[in-house]
Amino acid sequence: MAHQAHAYHMVDPSPWPLTGAVSALLMTSGLAIWMHFHSTTLMSLGLVLLLLTMYQWWRDIIREGTFQGHHTPPVQKGLRYGMILFITSEVFFFLGFFWAFYHSSLAPTPELGGCWPPTGITTLNPFEVPLLNTAVLLASGVTVTWAHHSIMEGQRKQALQSLALTILLGFYFTALQAMEYYEAPFTIADGVYGSTFFVATGFHGLHVIIGSTFLTVCLLRQMLHHFTSEHHFGFEAAAWYWHFVDVVWLFLYISIYWWGS
Amino acid sequence: MAARLLLRSGLRAVTTCRAVRAPALSRSMAAGGIPTDEEQATGLEKVIMKAMKEGKDPYSMMKPKSYAGSKSDPHLVPSITNKRVVGCICEEDNTAIIWFWLHEGEPQRCPSCGAHYKLVPHNLPH
Repeated sequence: MAHQAHAYHMVDPSPWPLTGAVSALLMTSGLAIWMHFHSTTLMSLGLVLLLLTMYQWWRDIIREGTFQGHHTPPVQKGLRYGMILFITSEVFFFLGFFWAFYHSSLAPTPELGGCWPPTGITTLNPFEVPLLNTAVLLASGVTVTWAHHSIMEGQRKQALQSLALTILLGFYFTALQAMEYYEAPFTIADGVYGSTFFVATGFHGLHVIIGSTFLTVCLLRQMLHHFTSEHHFGFEAAAWYWHFVDVVWLFLYISIYWWGS
Repeated sequence: MAARLLLRSGLRAVTTCRAVRAPALSRSMAAGGIPTDEEQATGLEKVIMKAMKEGKDPYSMMKPKSYAGSKSDPHLVPSITNKRVVGCICEEDNTAIIWFWLHEGEPQRCPSCGAHYKLVPHNLPH
């Protein structure tokens, strides 16, 4: 172990920040190549490199924290700040799309028929599948809290069950939403209604998938006994993210599905 | 199925003795299946955990102790070498910090307020 007089973690040199930056370069330039020359090779290469970077970087963090004990109290505090700041940045990301929605829907232009929903748009009934989706995500918020308490109380079986249930509910939401997308009477190309609807709910769906993946990693780690009843920040970060996803959905439901219908 | 699971877990939760306020030491792998830090912490995290239990702070995580700063009760400044930079905030809420090197040996005084500081050599915590 390094000889230091402080409790912080001086990280060993790592190639993953470089591979991450390279993958960002390949994905962005690959996107341009795809748009102009119809080839997806460069972008796909960037995507593969991104996935490899994420897997190996986060694997190394797990090794440093769980197996080597580098995540002392001040280090954990820093990780908490980091996750909170990241989620805050995501809040601002969604704020932009809500701004776009309200900009267009509060003062609908003559091209839309001066009304919202615009003329010709058949909106989805907010009390059908969207309401079920709301119930599913709220229930998953309960099960993830159940999982947290199970971990804190040292109950392994309950922790595994409630965490698995949370993930299943997440998949159920994604499946229902995918079906809704397929069956919707309007598309992303249907004016500003279509744009705001699919971009906002689409990014939300992506975040549900990200959150479900994070929770799945936590489930695997819990199965492998990584978490202790006092120290399980990876799980807490996943739970925070999952609650954030839930709250965004509630805003989406109230604004776009209900008020906007 | 979820309802049955929830009910069964709820029943178990209500009937088992969950000594939530009991010290972590009483829970073991055998009891609930999730290890405690006591059992599983390793590396620097474990060293710090053990030191904190004994009331020690070898890695300076806490605020430094308060001293009067007088000749008989000087501020004791731990150091792993023979000198350390000291920043004296002479009076509360002062925005100008008085920085100076504190050397091993005789206590020195802050050039601004005259508070006494003494360097205390320490070994590098391992």
